[in-house]
Amino acid sequence: MRVLRTVWLLSAVAAMLLPIYVMLVVASAPDDTDLGGLVFNGFHLPENLAELFAGEGFPVYFRNSVIYCVGSGALDVLFSSAAGYALAQLSFPGRRVLFVLVVGTLALAPMVMIIPVFLIVKELGWVNTIQGVIVPGMISAFGVFLVRQFALGVPKELIFAARVDGAGELRIFLRVALPLLRPALVTLFLIHFLAQWDNLLWPLIVANDPALWSLPVGLANFQSEHGFNYHLMTAAALVTAVPPFLLLAGLQRYYVAGLTFGGVK
Amino acid sequence: MTLTTKTVEAPAVSPGPGKGGRGRSRREAGAGIVLTIPVAVFFVVFWLVPFCGAVYLSFTDYEMAGAPRWIGLDNYARMLQDPGVWNSAWITVVYTVFTVLPTILLALLVAVPLSGPGRLNRVLRSLVMVPAVMPLAATSMVWVIIYSDRGLANTLLGAVGIEPQSWLTGSDLAIWALVVMVVWKSLGLFVIILTAGLQALPREVYEAAAIDGAGPVTTFRRITVPLLRRTLLFVLVISVAGSMQAFVPAFLLTGGGPADATQVLPYYIWANAFPYEHMGYASALAMTLLVAMLVVSIVQFGFLRGGDE
Repeated sequence: MRVLRTVWLLSAVAAMLLPIYVMLVVASAPDDTDLGGLVFNGFHLPENLAELFAGEGFPVYFRNSVIYCVGSGALDVLFSSAAGYALAQLSFPGRRVLFVLVVGTLALAPMVMIIPVFLIVKELGWVNTIQGVIVPGMISAFGVFLVRQFALGVPKELIFAARVDGAGELRIFLRVALPLLRPALVTLFLIHFLAQWDNLLWPLIVANDPALWSLPVGLANFQSEHGFNYHLMTAAALVTAVPPFLLLAGLQRYYVAGLTFGGVK
Repeated sequence: MTLTTKTVEAPAVSPGPGKGGRGRSRREAGAGIVLTIPVAVFFVVFWLVPFCGAVYLSFTDYEMAGAPRWIGLDNYARMLQDPGVWNSAWITVVYTVFTVLPTILLALLVAVPLSGPGRLNRVLRSLVMVPAVMPLAATSMVWVIIYSDRGLANTLLGAVGIEPQSWLTGSDLAIWALVVMVVWKSLGLFVIILTAGLQALPREVYEAAAIDGAGPVTTFRRITVPLLRRTLLFVLVISVAGSMQAFVPAFLLTGGGPADATQVLPYYIWANAFPYEHMGYASALAMTLLVAMLVVSIVQFGFLRGGDE
């Protein structure tokens, strides 16, 4: 029984890792002669990477992806932490309306919103601009709601004590609440970064200018740029796959906390 | 605006909003507004206004050039006559059913043994995260290679003596090629979520079951599945919503082809809106997708509530 279980688990995990192995093999190939992907044909990954980064497009897409993900992730953390804290701990006019507005958007699919949001971005003159790529996806109901749920756990006594000590409301948010919210903010940044890193649809629509493309858009256009060059394309996929892993190394539990938010218990 | 009112009378024993002096609660309201204003503006400009815009556009013939003209329900009537819509709706149903149900079943079969203690399980749990963390854009490129003429899929078929297939360019196989990739991609994610759910279950129930002599199958059916119900439904709801909106696999692997065989509804909406600029018609399609998604979620949540009583 025990042996059977171990065999099943090992073969399931091996099957799940097989495509990753194929990626490593093909990305290390010298050319496209063998795409079967089971046997390493030398290790030419460094040359392939050098060729990619020597090209015109790829380094730009990589840089853009980093800017979009770090920039919009930081803005999300900033705005969602402020709003999430206020919704959880402060009473102010319009609180309920705002909460309903934010949570209501959870029911709306991005695919439904993409046409009118594009028209608004066009109206603002933001097509083919960096703010056009970043701003519309900057804040999500998920983030505000995540911080709010977490901020409900900040002890009221702590905030009250700070008020008695004469601290202003903004100071209480920055000095008392924000440090306590840190785990939720790390989770939010991670989830936001990973989603943005993999966001193809929006940059595809809003940026025709290759100077603004992100890695997913670059990958989607790889064949029209480089022709059928599968081993280079796979190397590009590999480069796209690496940063999420680097980010998650050591932060795994924050990621799992975000994935299972609302699902467990 | 008198911010000078001192609130020295606030007693130190009654925390909570609404207590304390008038100046204090006014300062609290002010802070609340300052902290939420950016988010409020954002949600109005990028969610509320566009949503109303999408509803309006779905009743117009807007084509990017010129002004939108009100045409009532014409777009919706046209949808009923459009074979592309029926084709896409059917493909979306097939895609959703076959990317969700087998994945949840497989994930459960992996997660149950994987959630136990032990160093091997801990290592395997980390490895399972690898496909889940891979960006879908990168994943899709790897599967383009796997499905290419001389790729792994045909190598494996050759090993058991089957002719090579055109996975992405033959209209019979293309949708299943997408389904297999998506199942693979989602499996790791579902295993992580289910494993977390399983680890949160009370151990005593399992100990009691073991003392009563329950075998692994009975334990799984009578204890694990019922206790894990909420987590399973969570996975079901997010995966159904994800599959009904899936655009990237069809865009990157097959471009909706061959001969529209993988043209899921989100792809059809995108194609109408962006390359063809039929914004009005695409908005009506998008509204229909939204309503379909809401109906499906309501059914699922009804199921959830029914189970809690």
